[in-house]
Amino acid sequence: MTKTCRVRVKVNGVAYDEEVEPRLTLVDFLRERLALTGTHVGCEHGVCGACTVLVDGRTARSCLMLAVQADGAKVETVEGLAPEGELHPIQMAFLEEHGLQCGFCTPGFLMAVCELLEDNPGPSDDEIKEMLGGQICRCTGYQSILRAVHRAAANQQAARAARTTLRA
Amino acid sequence: MAVKIPNNVDELPTSALRYVGRAVKRVEDPGLLTGRTEFIDDVSRTGMLHCAILRSPIAHARITGMDVSEAAKLPGVVAIVTGEDAARWSFPAAAVPEGWGTHCLPKDKVRFVGEPVAAVAATSRAIAEDALELIAVDYEPLEPVMDPLRAMSQGSPLVLEERGTNVMMQRLFTWGDVDAAFATADHVFSEKFRWNRLGANPIETYGCISEWNPVDHGIVVRGGFQSPSHMALGRAASFGLPSNKVRMIAHPHGGSFGGKGGVRGTDISILLSRKAGGRPVKWIEDRMEYLVAGGSQAWDRHYELSLAARADGLVTALKVKLIDDLGANGEGFGAISAAKPLAAFTGPYTIGAAQYDLTLVATNKAPASPYRGMGPPPHNFALEQMMDIAAKGLGIDAAEFRRRNFIPKDRFPYTIPSGNEYDSGDYQAVLDKALALADYETLREEQATARQQGRLVGIGVASAVEPGVFDWNAYAIVGVQGTGVPEGATVSVDILGKISIRVGFALEGQGQYTLITQLVADYFAVDMDDITVTALDTQSAPPHFGPGGSRLGVAITGAVLGACERIREKMCAVTAALMQTAPENIEFADGNFIVKGMPGAEMPMAQVAGTMLGASHLLPPGIDPRPEATYVWTAAGRTPVDEEGRAKSYLTAAQAVHVVLLEIDRETGMVEIKKYCLVDDCGTRLNPATVEGQTEGSVAQGVGAALLEEYVYDEDGQLLTSTYMDYLLPTISDVPMTEKDEVVTPSPFTPLGAKGCGEGAIHTTPAAVMCAINDALAPLGVRANEVPATPVRLWKLIQAAEDAPATV
Repeated sequence: MTKTCRVRVKVNGVAYDEEVEPRLTLVDFLRERLALTGTHVGCEHGVCGACTVLVDGRTARSCLMLAVQADGAKVETVEGLAPEGELHPIQMAFLEEHGLQCGFCTPGFLMAVCELLEDNPGPSDDEIKEMLGGQICRCTGYQSILRAVHRAAANQQAARAARTTLRA
Repeated sequence: MAVKIPNNVDELPTSALRYVGRAVKRVEDPGLLTGRTEFIDDVSRTGMLHCAILRSPIAHARITGMDVSEAAKLPGVVAIVTGEDAARWSFPAAAVPEGWGTHCLPKDKVRFVGEPVAAVAATSRAIAEDALELIAVDYEPLEPVMDPLRAMSQGSPLVLEERGTNVMMQRLFTWGDVDAAFATADHVFSEKFRWNRLGANPIETYGCISEWNPVDHGIVVRGGFQSPSHMALGRAASFGLPSNKVRMIAHPHGGSFGGKGGVRGTDISILLSRKAGGRPVKWIEDRMEYLVAGGSQAWDRHYELSLAARADGLVTALKVKLIDDLGANGEGFGAISAAKPLAAFTGPYTIGAAQYDLTLVATNKAPASPYRGMGPPPHNFALEQMMDIAAKGLGIDAAEFRRRNFIPKDRFPYTIPSGNEYDSGDYQAVLDKALALADYETLREEQATARQQGRLVGIGVASAVEPGVFDWNAYAIVGVQGTGVPEGATVSVDILGKISIRVGFALEGQGQYTLITQLVADYFAVDMDDITVTALDTQSAPPHFGPGGSRLGVAITGAVLGACERIREKMCAVTAALMQTAPENIEFADGNFIVKGMPGAEMPMAQVAGTMLGASHLLPPGIDPRPEATYVWTAAGRTPVDEEGRAKSYLTAAQAVHVVLLEIDRETGMVEIKKYCLVDDCGTRLNPATVEGQTEGSVAQGVGAALLEEYVYDEDGQLLTSTYMDYLLPTISDVPMTEKDEVVTPSPFTPLGAKGCGEGAIHTTPAAVMCAINDALAPLGVRANEVPATPVRLWKLIQAAEDAPATV
C-alpha cells in the first residue's frame, strides 16, 4: 500500500504534480488533496452523478475514475465556473429558475450542462432529458432544472452574441 | 409582554411589499452554485481521525466472539470500539416506543443485516476500512423473522428477546359510533393493500465530526442535522450527560426528507473520540451504509380498509387495520409515522366515525425511519383506493363522489373524528379548478376512445389533506411526550442599520433563509442585501427544532415577525424619548418612526439604531440600548392527547386535488404518465417559487413511491436493493412535468395566513397515480393493490386477467 504513483494534472487551469496511492479515486484526489470540495460524493457507484466533472472536456464520474487515470488530463470542476465570483451563465440560469434546493447534486448537474450546451447550444426538452438522465436530484423534481437548462442555453447564446459584438 | 404576530400580509408595516409573496431569488443559491457552501464532508479538524464501521452480514445471530488484535496492529489505527465499549460508556439510544432501543454497538447479538458491530478510527478512511477486514467476528446464526404476520405469531423467533414479544404496540382506536354506521350502511366496501418499504434518500448521506472532551466530559458534534436540538438531547441521553454539555453545530446539508438518520454512527464516532483521547473523529456514511442501515427505510405496511356508505354516495364510516413492520427496533422513530395519520385520518371528507386497529411489529429488517409525509402517504393511498372502489360500486364518477363527501367550506374550523382540527379550506373550489385545468371531460372522452382500441388508459382523481406545523402531541399515542414545538429567531440591527438574524437550524434546501430575509426586508423596508442569516450551535441558538412536519415556514415566520415587533416596540420607546413624546404617539411605517400627526417628525430605522448603539447620551435612562430581540414562536391552542388518542395537533390543513392521465403498456407493464395536473391550497404563499419547488419535488418522490422505489429483502434478511442500480430513484425521464394552479384560503391561525406545505404532493401523488393505474386496469377486472406498481407486478396482473376465462 505504500507504493505511490505520480499524477500531473491541470485542474481549472492550475497545474498539479502529486504522488498518490493508485487506489485513490479522482474525486477524493480533488476533494482531499487539492481541497476542491465543490465536487460532491453521492453514491460512490456511478449512478447519482453528483461527482460529475469534465475530463478533457467530457463528463466523467469522478467517483469511478482513479486519480492516476487523470494523469496528463485537463480537469474542470464547479470551482472553475466562477473563478472570480461572477456567476457563469449556467449558474445564473439555475439561480433564476430555482433549479436547485439543497444544492448537493448541483455541481454535478452544472458540469453535465456545460458538456450538453457545448455539444448542443439549443437543446429540446427530450435532448435535455436524454443528456441529464444520469444525474439524480432528489429535491426539485427536475421541472425547474429543465427550465434552467433552457434559460442557460439562452444566457450562453446572449453572452456569445455580446462577446461577438464587443470584438466587432 | 404579548406580541401580536400579523395574520395577514396587509398588517405588515410597509405600504408596498417588495419581497413577501413574490418569487424572489434565493439567498442560499450563490454559495451552493459555486461549490462554496460547507457541507460536513468538506470540513476538517486538526488531529482529525476517520471512522469506518464493521457491519453484520447476517440478519439474526449471536455474537460469540470478536478479535480486534490484528486490526489494532495496522499502522494508522488509533482506536477500535466494540459492544464492550458501548455497554461501558453509553446507553441504548432513545427509541419509540420506549424500551425498544439497543446500544449503538450490540454485545450479545445482531438483529439486522448492516447492524454495526465494531468501528475503527484511523488516520485515513482507507486505513480504517483496511482495518475492518482484520477484525474477526464469530456469529452463531439464528433464524430470522422477516414477515410481520409471522413475527406476531406464537413461536416466532424474538428480535428483542428481553421484550418477550415482537409486538411493539397494539391498540384499537374507535372514534364515533362505527358499529352503528356499518350496521346501517347501504353498502360496505372492503379491500386489502400492501405498501412496501421505501425511503428518503437525500443525495448527501449523513456525516458528522465528533469530539469528546476528556477534561470536562462534554461533546461537540458537527454534522448534517435536520434537527440539531433534537440530536443534542438524544446524545445527552445516550451518554448520560447534562444536556448543556452537548453542543451540536449544524452544517448545511444535502437534503433530509426526514430520513437523514445518523444516530448510531454519531454515537459510535463519539465513543471512538473518547477512546482516542478526545481527537475529532469524522464519520461519513457511504451510500451502501445509508441504504442498508441508515435513515433510509420507511413505511412497510399491510392494510385492510372498510368503508360504510349510503346509497346516495355519502361515506359514513371508515375502518383501517394496519400492521406496520418497524424492523429491528424503535431507534429510527418509525413508529411516529403510524401515529401521524390521526392528524388527517378521514382525509378531506366528512366521514363521521372511524376506527384504527394499529399493530407495530419488530422484524429482522433495518429499523424504520421517518420519510417526508411521515406516514399519511400510504394511508391516503389506501383511503383513496377505497373511495374509488366505493364510487365504482355505487356507479358514481370518481370526481363527483369526492365532491359529495368533501367538507364544505362553511364548516371550518372542522374537527375530524380522530381529534385534529382543520383550519380552513375550499375543497370544492380546488376540485373544480383541477378538473378544469385537466379538461377532465375531454380526458374521459379520450379514455373511452383508447379503451375501444384495447389500450389501458386510466385517469386518477385524488385528494388529500396535508397536516402542517407538526406538534409532538400528534405522536403521543406511540409514547412521544410534550405539547408545542418552539422555534426561535434573534434579529439584530447594527449601528449602521444592517440586520443580522440568528437561528438554530442549518440550510437543508427549502429556502427558509430566503423566507426570513424577505420577511425582515419588508418589515423594515430595507433591501434583502442588507440582511444576513446565520445558524448558531445548540448552546447559543434560541430554542429550535428546524425543518420537519411541514412546520418551519410557518414557525420561523412567527419567530422572525415576533422579534421584529419587539424591536419596533423598543425603537418606538427610543424615538418617543428623542422626540419628547409618549411611545404610543409613535408609529412605524415604511422603515420610519413617525410622530403621529406631525408631518416631517420622523426618524429612519437605521438612525434610531445608530443612536441606540452610538449616542448613549441621547437615550432615556435605564433603557437597554441593543436594537435586538429574540422571539420564540409556538402554535397556540394545542391540546394534550385525550384517552381516545385525540388531540388538536397539526395547526394547518393544506389540501390538494391531483388529476393524472396515464397508460399501461399491455406487453411490458410499463406506466407512462401522460398528463399530471394539480391544484393545491396552502394558504398565503410567502414565496411562490419555493412553494412550487416543494410541490414539484414531492410529486417526483410520490411518483417514485408509486412506480419505482422499494427495499426488497430475501427470506434470509439480505437486502437485495443496496445500490442505486437496484433501488430506483426517479430520473428526469421518469417524472411528469406538472401543470399547476392554486386556490388560496389563508389560515386564520398562523403568521400571515400561511400553511405548512413542505411535504406537499407526496400526500396525494401516490394515491393519484394508483387511482389512475386501477382505472386503467378496470376493463380487465383486476386491481393493483400493492405499491410500487412495478412493471412486473402490473404485467402479472394483466397476464392473469388475459389468461382467465372470459366472463360475460
